[in-house]
Amino acid sequence: MPKHELILLKNMMTPGYTGSLKDYEKTGGYQALKKVVGKVQPADVTQLVMKSGLRGRGGAGFPTGVKWNFLPKDYKGPKYLCCNADESEPGTFKDRQLMERDPHQVLEGIAIAAYAIGAESSYIYIRGEFVLGAHILDKAVAEAQQAGYLGKNVLGSGANIQIYVHRGAGAYICGEETALLESLEGKRGLPRVKPPFPATSGLYGKPTVVNNVETLANLPHIVNRGPEWFAAIGSAPKSTGTRIFCVSGHVKNPGNYEVPMGITLRELIFEHAGGMRSDKKLKAIIPGGASAPFLTEQHLDVKLDFESVAQAGSMLGSGGVTVMEEGTSMVWAALRLMEFFFHESCGKCSPCREGSSWLTQTVRRILAKRGRMEDIETLKQLCQNIAGRTICAFGDAEVAPIMSTLQYWRHEYEELIREAEAHREKELPMAAARH
Amino acid sequence: MPRETSRDNMLREKHGKEIDDIISRYPVRRSALLPLLYLAQREQGYVTEAAMKEIAQILKLTPPQVYETITFYTMLNLKPVGKFHIQVCKSLMCALVGSDQLVGWFHAKLGIKPGETTPDKLFTLSVVECLGACGTGPMMQINDDYYERLTEQKVDQILSDLKKTGACPLKSGPFMWPEARSAK
Amino acid sequence: MATTTVDTVKLIIDGVQVTVPKGTLVIEAARQMGVMIPHFCYHPKLTPDANCRMCLVEIEKVPKLQTSCSTPVAEGMVVRTATTVVNEAHKSVLEFILANHPLDCPVCDQGGRCDLQDFSHEYTPTTSRFAETKRIFPKEYFSPVIETQMNRCVQCLRCVRYCDQVMDVNALAPSGRGTMTEIKHFGAHPLDCEFCGGCVQICPVGAITSRLSMYEFRPWMLKRADTTCTYCGDGCQITLQTKDNDLIEVMSAQGAGRNNGDLCARGFFGYHVSTHEDRLKHPLIRRDGKLVEATWEDALEYVAERAMQLKMAHGAQAFAGLIASRCTNEDLYVFQKFMRLVIGTNKLDSSARYGHINGVRALRRVQGTHRWTVTFEDIVNAEVLLLVGTNITEANPITGLKVKEAVKKNGAALITVEALQPAVGTISNIANLSAHHFGAHPDRFQALVLGLIKAVVEEGLVAPPLTQRAPAFVKATSDAVKALAWPVIEQQTGTTSAALKDAARAFAKTARAVILVGQGVLRQPGGSGLMTTLLDLLVLTGHHGLAGCGVAPLAEGNNDQGAIEMGTVAEYLPGPAELGDPAARQRLAQLWKEEVPQTPGRTLLEMLDEARTGTIKAMFIVGENPAGSLPPSAKANDALGKLDLLVCQELFLTETAALAHVVLPACSYAEKDGTFTNTEGHVQPVRHAIEPLGESRPDWEILSALSVLMGAPLEYGDAKEITNEIRSLLPGHGLLGAGPKPPRPNDAAVSRYLQQGYADDLGERYRLTASGLGARGSGQEETFTLLMAQSLFHSGKYSTRAKGLLQIQSTGALTVNPADAGRLGIVDGNPVRLSTQQGQMTTTVKLLDRIPEGLAVFPEHFDQDLRRLLSVTADPQTGVPYCKTAKVRIERL
Ligand SMILES: Cc1cc2nc3c(=O)[nH]c(=O)nc-3n(C[C@H](O)[C@H](O)[C@H](O)COP(=O)(O)O)c2cc1C
Ligand code: SF4
Ligand code: FES
Repeated sequence: MPKHELILLKNMMTPGYTGSLKDYEKTGGYQALKKVVGKVQPADVTQLVMKSGLRGRGGAGFPTGVKWNFLPKDYKGPKYLCCNADESEPGTFKDRQLMERDPHQVLEGIAIAAYAIGAESSYIYIRGEFVLGAHILDKAVAEAQQAGYLGKNVLGSGANIQIYVHRGAGAYICGEETALLESLEGKRGLPRVKPPFPATSGLYGKPTVVNNVETLANLPHIVNRGPEWFAAIGSAPKSTGTRIFCVSGHVKNPGNYEVPMGITLRELIFEHAGGMRSDKKLKAIIPGGASAPFLTEQHLDVKLDFESVAQAGSMLGSGGVTVMEEGTSMVWAALRLMEFFFHESCGKCSPCREGSSWLTQTVRRILAKRGRMEDIETLKQLCQNIAGRTICAFGDAEVAPIMSTLQYWRHEYEELIREAEAHREKELPMAAARH
Repeated sequence: MPRETSRDNMLREKHGKEIDDIISRYPVRRSALLPLLYLAQREQGYVTEAAMKEIAQILKLTPPQVYETITFYTMLNLKPVGKFHIQVCKSLMCALVGSDQLVGWFHAKLGIKPGETTPDKLFTLSVVECLGACGTGPMMQINDDYYERLTEQKVDQILSDLKKTGACPLKSGPFMWPEARSAK
Repeated sequence: MATTTVDTVKLIIDGVQVTVPKGTLVIEAARQMGVMIPHFCYHPKLTPDANCRMCLVEIEKVPKLQTSCSTPVAEGMVVRTATTVVNEAHKSVLEFILANHPLDCPVCDQGGRCDLQDFSHEYTPTTSRFAETKRIFPKEYFSPVIETQMNRCVQCLRCVRYCDQVMDVNALAPSGRGTMTEIKHFGAHPLDCEFCGGCVQICPVGAITSRLSMYEFRPWMLKRADTTCTYCGDGCQITLQTKDNDLIEVMSAQGAGRNNGDLCARGFFGYHVSTHEDRLKHPLIRRDGKLVEATWEDALEYVAERAMQLKMAHGAQAFAGLIASRCTNEDLYVFQKFMRLVIGTNKLDSSARYGHINGVRALRRVQGTHRWTVTFEDIVNAEVLLLVGTNITEANPITGLKVKEAVKKNGAALITVEALQPAVGTISNIANLSAHHFGAHPDRFQALVLGLIKAVVEEGLVAPPLTQRAPAFVKATSDAVKALAWPVIEQQTGTTSAALKDAARAFAKTARAVILVGQGVLRQPGGSGLMTTLLDLLVLTGHHGLAGCGVAPLAEGNNDQGAIEMGTVAEYLPGPAELGDPAARQRLAQLWKEEVPQTPGRTLLEMLDEARTGTIKAMFIVGENPAGSLPPSAKANDALGKLDLLVCQELFLTETAALAHVVLPACSYAEKDGTFTNTEGHVQPVRHAIEPLGESRPDWEILSALSVLMGAPLEYGDAKEITNEIRSLLPGHGLLGAGPKPPRPNDAAVSRYLQQGYADDLGERYRLTASGLGARGSGQEETFTLLMAQSLFHSGKYSTRAKGLLQIQSTGALTVNPADAGRLGIVDGNPVRLSTQQGQMTTTVKLLDRIPEGLAVFPEHFDQDLRRLLSVTADPQTGVPYCKTAKVRIERL
């Protein structure tokens, strides 16, 4: 029961909408592209996007227009646009829906961005598991090309806009933009040391912009309805527009909900997602994907915009909101995420590589009731020693579950350890006898 | 005694046009590596040493460069897998809604644990990390297809359909959740 | 005040102000002021990867700690490397790195020289908080010469990055991810690569080590001697490490020598020749047709007596001498002095005759120098490089690295004229980096070079000042190339005029151009002429005489250059100076207190002819093996068999030594002192690492002892005295130390050449010859051009006694193009029959993409049987024996 207008999900929520080019055109599709290509100076498109206040939906929330503006101005050689469709952050499943249900909205967004930054080739880096999504995009690209929206001399404007769909092959880290570029270059997906940033040296060492699917999908609407319209949605000035929140976990109606930024967690969870699935109380919330620190039920009134969530000690991240009910072991939950990070650490930085394994093993041991009190201190220190000392933000992300569960639910760790110690005391005489 | 190239033209002979088409999408040949590896994997369900060598040759890489890339990605297999590769998501979001039970069902029904293949080489079971379908867990991927909001009944049907026809209508997509009607 | 700091940056490190060049990394700036920031993944040769996170430092105004290995300095930057925060960070990173590292230091060959050990000693408490299970990789067999212990790996990827960035080989694969990242190689067989040993050397821990010395030492037991490698003309500095007079391993320190610590398989794994069990340990005298052990006294007396008798009977011109250019300058110098003074003849020659002489004679002819006018640094900094006839990555691997660096790091344009075609293999191939590759059989190189010159002329790329200075030369060369028809060139070379014009433009339009000329020119018929024509090309485009530009013939032998400079070739006195040069003769006479003989010299083939006809009756052969190196058709055995006295100084009983009357055991380079002169003219020290094996003695010392017995003593206390004598004779020689300036072309000589010097053989050089070797008519599938070539893993026959190298390559195989093989119906490993008019043999084939169709390449180190199929022709001008190619038939067996 949205009290607000849907933007990105509007078409697909219309019964019978198939996502074909015809359907998309019927809803005004590709009008925005027609409006800008060859008619508006690329730099002015960038200005427009800056004015809209659009910020990246991929995780970091970097202002999109500002990012485009970092490209060297009078650069003559090729530039690239990469659409980040790697969507691998646990808790996040919105880009998949955007691509599978309304692929042309994404393509039009890419085309507008490509035009604005002067990229003749754009690559959609889609996670390998999304086979269907890649297939749908491929078909949509062919359709759009046929119709003259993509390809050489788009709509007779002289601009060349080519879009290629490139499948990843199973590696969370390839969502990190420089790892994505490495992977797109056919290499192992190891993040690059920055600087240089992609804007100056990205794909094949050329100026490159990487933007998330949802970020790009907003562009046709911003062009069509003006930056002021967009800036008025959400919590101005810093969190404009809507976000698709992906609600998962112990709620009645998990799923994707597009809402203006700035509604509270409570609204999202209890109004949109139907509240808790059983009569158990809410215990914990991850507000922005696995990389975001856990919050508690005391944070239910935190507004879902970049600043407010950050202030509450977590982050808005990718928009993945996971809800956990009373009775969920927080040590167990932290371990599940830690296992994910351990599995996905690319292994480049020693603190992340070794730390993820160390943390995982330690939490696993605690959960298996073989922990010691000093483990808690060690966990904390290890987290501190990883955060901020790695090449990419994965290092900061992987410590979030442990740091935050330790912050709010330290007693759960302690209880497990105390049980272990009681157990150990019983064992002690035997252990001593071995020596 | 150094041993270089032993040639194998299998992929080029069979898929020459597709290969050229893939390579033409990128200004630098190496970018075609993942697409070509998928193409090779389509053949036998995994990437053989001969295929790695041939792809290296096509892309003007050394075989180790191909190999190192493969090993970074979970979707590329270096060993044969069953005809149906069941990959159950075990990450937190799915675990909250029962993915561990799902693994248990498979163990009960197929007698295999994660990492194992049924003796008839039909099913390989793996547990994997998040597949990007957290709102519709527990879920799994079998070969190219997603199956979501799984229940024990659904799993039974999927297994029997796959055994019988090699396909199952329960596969999901194009994805949307909640579905349109709930938004009215 | 004018700023002079355009290219430097001032910053403060730990409170001290430093000024460093712009672009310097903080870690290097700190090193320059003596502050060592701990690190693992950083290495000055590699682009920063910043993966170990060890080198964190505090930089004022930057919130997070930064990796000093990847942060360039900035003006006014304030860096702190030793605050509590930084120390804590170092400790914590080290704790992470140690978490999965086994504590097997007692059995680790790196123990005692391990970065991890050293930093741990500095930072960590003795107990670890890591109470979990350590990661364990199943042990895998890696290769016969390289051992890996992946549990010890700290995943810095230095080995992988070295293999890619420096070597361009890409043989190592980091596989898996996260903590399970493991350095592997490809496939179900042992590692297959260039075996440069770079990964062993660059590993900061003991994860990759040499199997040749496994468990044999602890680093502190080793004695070290910095010396010069003896395997090719590049002249790499190596450190021979020994224990109890046994060679344990070779290293080359980063920054050391012309090679900057980089080596090839020969240098790194080939050190066991010196201690081979077959080494001759005692003098041998032929008695009753058999060589039997003798004392030095007997052997030397025998030689001296026989030599005196023969000289009395037949005169000095009945003597000849031949020396291997593997010897030190000191050996070479004493040898020619012995032949000239003690014997009294100029009939002496050396292995420089096999090809290097072609290069040096052309340099002297056109520009009056006998050395390169460029250095390795000029190669690295060149904007365009033209490589002609050199599979440089195998023949001169370290010069090859300079070319790779020029292309990969500095973006130089590379033009290659080579038989091998671009194809990625397990050995790097310079043609892969080439922007303009012209592939053709060696007998077509001339046509390609003439095509380039024609393009230069026709595209108006001849330098205007040259046209002013030497109108006749420009006209003569222009007319000559204009007379050549493009269609003929295109047909002969299989390339297009457009491609040649592109390359010509790329060459002519850049400021710094270097031409490297390899064995494919220098050891092929027409070599001396083509070398001259390549100098013409440089002259025509106006590069000649400019700093950083030049034509550089690549020396194959480690001291080919020294052999010519020491006057151990038929045509030169030390210097080199022409035999008849009055000034040189006078200088020598003054120093030697005796006249230099007036008689003419003899080249190798001429010597053998004279021996066969009985004009020459006695020969002194030092380390050279004509019976084993020349094809039987040169009839060296015949010739040597006719001698009344054949004295060989040798390490091993070679084919030639087996024919000798007296064999005198000589020291290898590892047991003696002296100098080698590398291909670019650097005179570099040779230092003994072990005591002479058995009774062996340095070659100079043997000659010196003989001279005493023969009544004309050439006495030296040690090699240093000889070096000093050489320096006093050739002042330029000794000045060339670590950073020499290369000579500039001699203006008078250039003028002489441009006025009429070029004319003598212009017609010959500017002609399209069609030897027919390369062309294959239809229906001639079985006809191939056989090419004997250098392998990366061997050097002459010498290295075929190095056990490490034999483990890498122990036999020869005939390499052919897969398409050719397909036509012949053969696959890898099939036996085939090769036949020429001279005979036939069987061998096995190996298919390689880089071999062009119609060519069949065989490594010359294993050519014992193959030599029978070759014939020898001598260069009419330089007497160089050409015996590297033949037309053969290949049939499947
Ligand atoms: C470990 C890691 C994983 C990431 N995964 C994704 C992802 O799956 N999808 C995505 O759009 N951005 C991801 N990002 C963020 C990207 O690096 C990048 O910031 C984003 O694609 C930029 O697009 P935007 O400005 O439109 O948000 C990830 C970042 C990190 C550090
Ligand atoms: S922080 Fe982790 S994931 Fe990111 S580059 Fe470093 S090792 Fe890889
Ligand atoms: S040396 Fe700087 S991160 Fe490794």
